[in-house]
Amino acid sequence: MGLEKYIAERIIQAFFVIIAVIIINFIIVSAAPGDPIQFIAGDIAINSPEFATYLRHKWGLDRPLYERIFTYIFNIFQGDLGYSYRYLQPVSQLILERLPVTLLLMITSNVLAFIIGILLGLYSARKNGSFVDTSITSLNFLFWSTPSFLLGIILMMIFGVNLKIFPVAGLIDVRNPKEGFWLYLDIVYHSVLPIITLTLITMPLYFKVVRDTVIQQSVEEYAYMYRAIGFNESKIYKKVFRNAILPPVTLFAIHIGFAVAGAALIENVFGWPGVGRLLLDAISARDYPIIMGIYLFISITVVLANLIVDILYAYLDPRIRLQKIS
Amino acid sequence: MIKLIKIPSNYLSKLVTIIMIILFISIIFTVSHVNAQSQEAISTISCQYKGGSLVVIHWGDPKSFNPDSQVDDALFIIASQIFNKLINLDVNYNIIPELATSWEVSANASIFTFHLAHNVTWHDGYPFTSKDVRYTLESIKNYKGVMYGFLKMDSLVSVQTPDNYTIVVKYSQPFPAFLGFLAWYGTFILPEHIFNKTQYKDWMDPSIPALTKPIGTGPFKFVEYVKGSHVVLEANNDYFKGKPCINRVTFQIIPDPTAALQAFLAGQGDLLNNRPPTTEIPKINSTPGVIVQMRPVPSRWYIAYNLLNPLLSNLKMRLAIAYAINRTELVQKAESGYGFVARGMYPPAIQWAFNPNVILPEYNPAKADALLDELGYKKGSDGYRYAPDGTKLTLRFTIFQGAEAEAIATIIKEQLRKVGIDVKVEVLEIAAWENKVVKQRDFDLAMLDGFQGPDPDNMRSRFGPGAYLNMANYSNPVFGDLLNKAASEPDPQKRKELYWKAQEIMANDLPYLPLVDLVAFFIYRTEWHGFYWQLPGIAGLNVLERVWWEKGTPVTTTTISIPTQSTSVTPSQVQQGISTTMIIAVVGVIIIVAIILLIIRRRGS
Repeated sequence: MGLEKYIAERIIQAFFVIIAVIIINFIIVSAAPGDPIQFIAGDIAINSPEFATYLRHKWGLDRPLYERIFTYIFNIFQGDLGYSYRYLQPVSQLILERLPVTLLLMITSNVLAFIIGILLGLYSARKNGSFVDTSITSLNFLFWSTPSFLLGIILMMIFGVNLKIFPVAGLIDVRNPKEGFWLYLDIVYHSVLPIITLTLITMPLYFKVVRDTVIQQSVEEYAYMYRAIGFNESKIYKKVFRNAILPPVTLFAIHIGFAVAGAALIENVFGWPGVGRLLLDAISARDYPIIMGIYLFISITVVLANLIVDILYAYLDPRIRLQKIS
Repeated sequence: MIKLIKIPSNYLSKLVTIIMIILFISIIFTVSHVNAQSQEAISTISCQYKGGSLVVIHWGDPKSFNPDSQVDDALFIIASQIFNKLINLDVNYNIIPELATSWEVSANASIFTFHLAHNVTWHDGYPFTSKDVRYTLESIKNYKGVMYGFLKMDSLVSVQTPDNYTIVVKYSQPFPAFLGFLAWYGTFILPEHIFNKTQYKDWMDPSIPALTKPIGTGPFKFVEYVKGSHVVLEANNDYFKGKPCINRVTFQIIPDPTAALQAFLAGQGDLLNNRPPTTEIPKINSTPGVIVQMRPVPSRWYIAYNLLNPLLSNLKMRLAIAYAINRTELVQKAESGYGFVARGMYPPAIQWAFNPNVILPEYNPAKADALLDELGYKKGSDGYRYAPDGTKLTLRFTIFQGAEAEAIATIIKEQLRKVGIDVKVEVLEIAAWENKVVKQRDFDLAMLDGFQGPDPDNMRSRFGPGAYLNMANYSNPVFGDLLNKAASEPDPQKRKELYWKAQEIMANDLPYLPLVDLVAFFIYRTEWHGFYWQLPGIAGLNVLERVWWEKGTPVTTTTISIPTQSTSVTPSQVQQGISTTMIIAVVGVIIIVAIILLIIRRRGS
């Protein structure tokens, strides 16, 4: 009973946060110097005045302010994020076209980083203070501080150029393009190096959080109590694990929320056509509709990701949903 | 009544023979007249080996597939395969024929008549005619295409099509630079039958299918474009110059220069179209199976002095800065030796227009010191110079992001420090730089590079009074006059003299200081041949129509020899074709007349 109510509350909250984000976006667009049409369709006003007039009407730029807010929210909810004059396509279509590629990289690497990071963190915490622990921690620190594109290039040189195990760059093999199932396999083959790079960059965060949580939890009162009763270490660690799992889950949600643009530098280096690459190209070309569209998209995905995680949290940790009732 | 005059049969046969001879001779004259008209005809593509799929590692995504509507450098090499221009530039920036096989320029250089190739079809089978050329030129004018200014569309009077294969372009004033600009950029001929429909608002209307699936007349047809990843083109078997030797061209888009280089070296690509850092050139050169070639290009790094700044408005200050800069060091350290010390005020790569007598200030720090002392700036204890009122001699040096620009700026900062000038280097992102330096003119010293060809009229857009790119605010009326006169002077010799004089004046005024003349790198694998830089006079810039692969299937048919490096186009093959047909026709006529003669003789005897 408590769980359903909690979920319902969170969903309503998320909805209002999204509306607030859209309104803030709208204020930015309207308050910026210049014609707001540039945020909706770029330089189209100069080059194609009739199309610009059509868009002005659709986005209500010729109406008073309060009407414009509603038109804006209405359009966004319909999935219209603006129009890119450079690509001659709606922004939402551009994002959706490239989303699968980015999700392939980000979700795979985040899941791997989550699993490997937690396993390493648990192992390291168990062996706290030993040589193994110190070396794993240092290695993770090294990966955490290396810039993503540098690590990408290093892996590219070692595995792509010198050892020739994996392809250097690109989405597919353009010399011998494949069809159907083999095409997907080709894409997966080309995704190995980018995914490894992203995993190595993201993993240290999970590792550190889990390791620190476990070490901290294992000196909590309940752990001492278990030891006093006589449970062996591995049983205790299972209980500790249950508590330690919460912070990484939050982290995972935040990372997934930013998944859309998170791989931008990696996509640039490896020549992958993802949303991050779209954002970088749009920034250097001052393609405002794409920039605003992607930022709005990210804001919404972050809100949704947090919502999902809050619900998951409520399921995993009874204290949270019980708090709401009292 | 019928046979009033009886002509003996032998007279009749003699008469017929004479008529035949006259006919024969007149046909020969017609043939040679036709040949003379097509003396600039294009050599057809002939292949030693057929087959192969070329992969080009490319640096960026095209913005659209309309190559004439906006500046789209990433599209240019792709468009050069899908489309043709009327005329093109070869690797030496000389004009060569393409869709226009010959042309005439009126005496006052205001009327241009082009004769178009006959057997050209669009990739969808539709025939190419003068209507397409007219539509393209008029659209550049009506829709403000990227070449609107360079092609002086304001002064365009009319584009006429007297027949399907002739086009007459009339300007209201002399425009000698027209051909150079027409051959350069943003002048690809577009298919009128696809673009010119009343339901389209303009040539960038999103509902035009050709904007995402382009149709051209070029050597390769569009197959697919996966955004951010690759563009695939396949050979056009009906290409008017002949079938290309290779089957496919694929452009793989890898923006990061290091990743692109590594992908190329690992064998993923055959031609590298993403300029690598010059420090990598020796390593690339020594990689087996890879060739690196260099060519000077009419592009140079140059400094702009803001003449509105009171410090820099004094010529002695500008000279002092020039004497303090060691351009040889710039070439060695910033370009790893791959470049040339800039000579003169216009790039030497456009040979006819370059004035070699104009000498730039040489590297002489002693002279720089002397001039700065003369101007009243004394060296302080920290090595920097101070004005009499105590202010330090400091100048901002505003550049845009990029490894080369930043390297050059760092070296110049050090060189100027040695003569006591304090330089603050300001690095801005390119669009921000354009806004601050070009639009607002808020700078002391600035540096940029850029293509200054194909015609010296480009000087007017860069240095002329009132020009958008004239960030130094240089306005010498004599200089401006010379450029304006040269722009409308039809006599090439007189034009050259005017441009040479203009360079002298600019060197005396020194509003801009050229630093380094750039080179272009051609990096490719040894098994591929037939690139445009190997075929001057024949292949246009960036065009891959004559590329062949030595690992393809050898072509066994003999006879036709490959057009080699000789100067201009070889009309022999086309001439051969026409005269063979005519000779067959003449022989046929002779045989028919001979048969008639025999019959008459039979009847007679």
